[in-house]
Amino acid sequence: MLSYTLRRLLVAIPTLFGVVLLVFLMVRLAPGDPAVLLAGEFATPETLEAIRTRYGLDRPLVEQFALYLGALLRGDLGESARSRRPVLEELKTYFPNTVELASAAILVALLTGIPLGILAALRPGSGLDLLVMVLALLGVSMPVFWFGLLAILIFSVELGWFPVAGKGTLAHLVLPAVTLGVNATALLARMTRGTLLEVLSQDYIRTARAKGLAERVVIFKHALRNALIPVVTVAGLEFGSLLAGAVITETIFAWPGLGQLLVGSILARDYPVVQGAVLLVAVTFILVNLLVDLAYAWIDPRVRYD
Amino acid sequence: MRKALVVFGLIALNAWAQRLIVAQGTDPITLDAPLAQDSPSATVVTHISETLFELTPEGRIVPHLAEGYNFADGGKTLTIRLRRGIVFHDGTPFNAEAVKFNLERFVSRELASPFAFLLSELDRVEVVDPYTVRLRLKNPFAPILAHLTHSSTAIQSPTAIQRLGAQYRDNPVGTGPYRFQAWQKGQYVDLVRNENYWGEKPPIPQVRFIPVPEGTTRVALVETGQAHVAVRIPPQDIPRLQTNPAVEVVRTPSLRTIYIYFNTQRAPFNDVRVRQALNHAVNKEEILQFVLGGIGRISDAPIAPGIFGYAPVGRYEYNPQRAQELLRQAGVSTPLRITLHCPTGRYFQDIQVCEAIQGQLRRVGVEATIQTLEWGAYLQETQRPLRENRIQMAMLGWGTVTGDADYGLYPLFHSSQWAPGFNRAFYKNAEVDKLLAQARISTLPQGRQQLYREAMNRIWRDAPWLFLHSEVQVTAIRKEVQGFIVHPTERYLAYKARFR
Repeated sequence: MLSYTLRRLLVAIPTLFGVVLLVFLMVRLAPGDPAVLLAGEFATPETLEAIRTRYGLDRPLVEQFALYLGALLRGDLGESARSRRPVLEELKTYFPNTVELASAAILVALLTGIPLGILAALRPGSGLDLLVMVLALLGVSMPVFWFGLLAILIFSVELGWFPVAGKGTLAHLVLPAVTLGVNATALLARMTRGTLLEVLSQDYIRTARAKGLAERVVIFKHALRNALIPVVTVAGLEFGSLLAGAVITETIFAWPGLGQLLVGSILARDYPVVQGAVLLVAVTFILVNLLVDLAYAWIDPRVRYD
Repeated sequence: MRKALVVFGLIALNAWAQRLIVAQGTDPITLDAPLAQDSPSATVVTHISETLFELTPEGRIVPHLAEGYNFADGGKTLTIRLRRGIVFHDGTPFNAEAVKFNLERFVSRELASPFAFLLSELDRVEVVDPYTVRLRLKNPFAPILAHLTHSSTAIQSPTAIQRLGAQYRDNPVGTGPYRFQAWQKGQYVDLVRNENYWGEKPPIPQVRFIPVPEGTTRVALVETGQAHVAVRIPPQDIPRLQTNPAVEVVRTPSLRTIYIYFNTQRAPFNDVRVRQALNHAVNKEEILQFVLGGIGRISDAPIAPGIFGYAPVGRYEYNPQRAQELLRQAGVSTPLRITLHCPTGRYFQDIQVCEAIQGQLRRVGVEATIQTLEWGAYLQETQRPLRENRIQMAMLGWGTVTGDADYGLYPLFHSSQWAPGFNRAFYKNAEVDKLLAQARISTLPQGRQQLYREAMNRIWRDAPWLFLHSEVQVTAIRKEVQGFIVHPTERYLAYKARFR
């Protein structure tokens, strides 16, 4: 298991290099002069020149990349061109908030999506099943933006149950977590229902029932354990994309996460921050994937990594 | 349960009744004045650090940290007398040395302030005595007073800057009515009243600025009383807000003008009649009403009211017959096919305005194709020198950040400022050049005003632009708050505000 983990981490290095290179090229090959955007519309040629020198924008692309990579290896992500703070400091400020929000969202999804899926699978074709599936369809197809604003108007402005936006108390977390988690909830409900139905039609379930086991034992001990394996994968991947994709939710609820930092930085062509943030998301993704794979072995004893 | 909630709510209400909460679009980027480019940063900076002169919301320039001034040496020397007895929040005395330190830092290449151009005419700063400072200029430059009202030129504590180095941007120290208390990034900036303030002390002891990117969310915060002020209200939320008895919707002009410029050096727009024709062909009332939802002010000059030197100089009435006649006189055969460049999402309803114009131009036989680009690329295209420039017409906006006509006219219409400068219309009129240059040197305010009126009259007739509108800021303020100032420079000032 340890050697497997180490191997996976080693393989991650070229992947990360690819990410770094790709992001580096993408932000630079986009048309428009970043110095103009950084210096503002009103800057004089002298200011532009000073900004170019400061951020090495006047050097050849290869040299810029070599410098960036060298600094990166020393753990230096550079300095934000807008705030002039170290990028690492910026990421440290915003990323934990995104992790908090994404964790709450995935918790919502797990705690509601899986039970709903189980309920639906146990009574296939019933009214309850139909209701769950309609809700899941709505949940998957509803634009986050619209859902979030609706949630604010209903639960904050009309009913006054939750604060409108910002971070502070636990109550502040509820609406954004539900908004962010709604897609994942729907997805998990559908997945759970589908795989559970499939498992329930297997021979070993029929055997278990035939030998007179209680239905509760059949469902929870035999069926669910197998049915949940793909669900775990999806939940893990969903968590990864929640971390990367909380941008819209963070915007609506003024949540101080990475998404807010990233959007502002992209618009201002703040290269160092964009590169740092994407790199962080890539690293997180790789780690989450690895954890999901390791979780497999834990849930399913048949899976072995050597 | 409900009762408990109400009681809890009242306690919470009391707890922050003393604190004014302002919802802005974004978090400040930095609180170091010369680097603060965006309105949220400039807004917070203005409460903490003050400038030598002040631009009043009505467009007058008055001494602030300065007590008086005089020009000498044909306008090449500006001597400023400073107010006495002022200290920075950290106890450092405010004096001529502090001013010299700040101005020299401001123009230093090392700092690379995006606003360094404001003092590009500055040659050196001399300390005459502890409360007198002398600015030697390279050329006579009358707008210098206006430039010293800009929030980026605020005077900050030299000891704090030297002591904190790069950390200063997170711990600003000024002389202002509020002192910095805390900044939780992405969440809030807290300010507390400066009890030793030299001027009139602000009635409200604490102010909190919160970043809320989504307009509808800002509105919801004010509706529920979780914020007192929300800036930049989206038009679709205005009708709902207006039915709310607890909230007032305030409209204030901004110094930003939106226009479409023509390339005046290339056919067909090298003919003034074609440019005038297009100005007559566009129905600006209709655009204001239906595209901007009434949020804006139709331009009657190249700059907006609230700017020193502004004067209304004309209107191009909507008159499609006149437009067609002018086109005929210019020998243009219709349909005339042109390309109109337009940004998307940079200015309020920008692409929608372009589409409306496209429809209106069609009625006079002008077939415009709209071309859009991402903002960075767009700027690059519009600033190419004449030889490489392919743009016929393009929409841009200009915020006269100094509040002085020089900055709203010289970079845009003087022939020395052709692109890659800001004169992207490649406009050239020797008379206008002369007037704008004279107004820079003339140190008498009335004289300058006269020169600008003259220059704007000519610019208006020459029509290097399709004159559109200036922006209007829409702000939601809860009725229990009085005296909150929305400044035309897009800053929001709390220090005269009070709770009813």
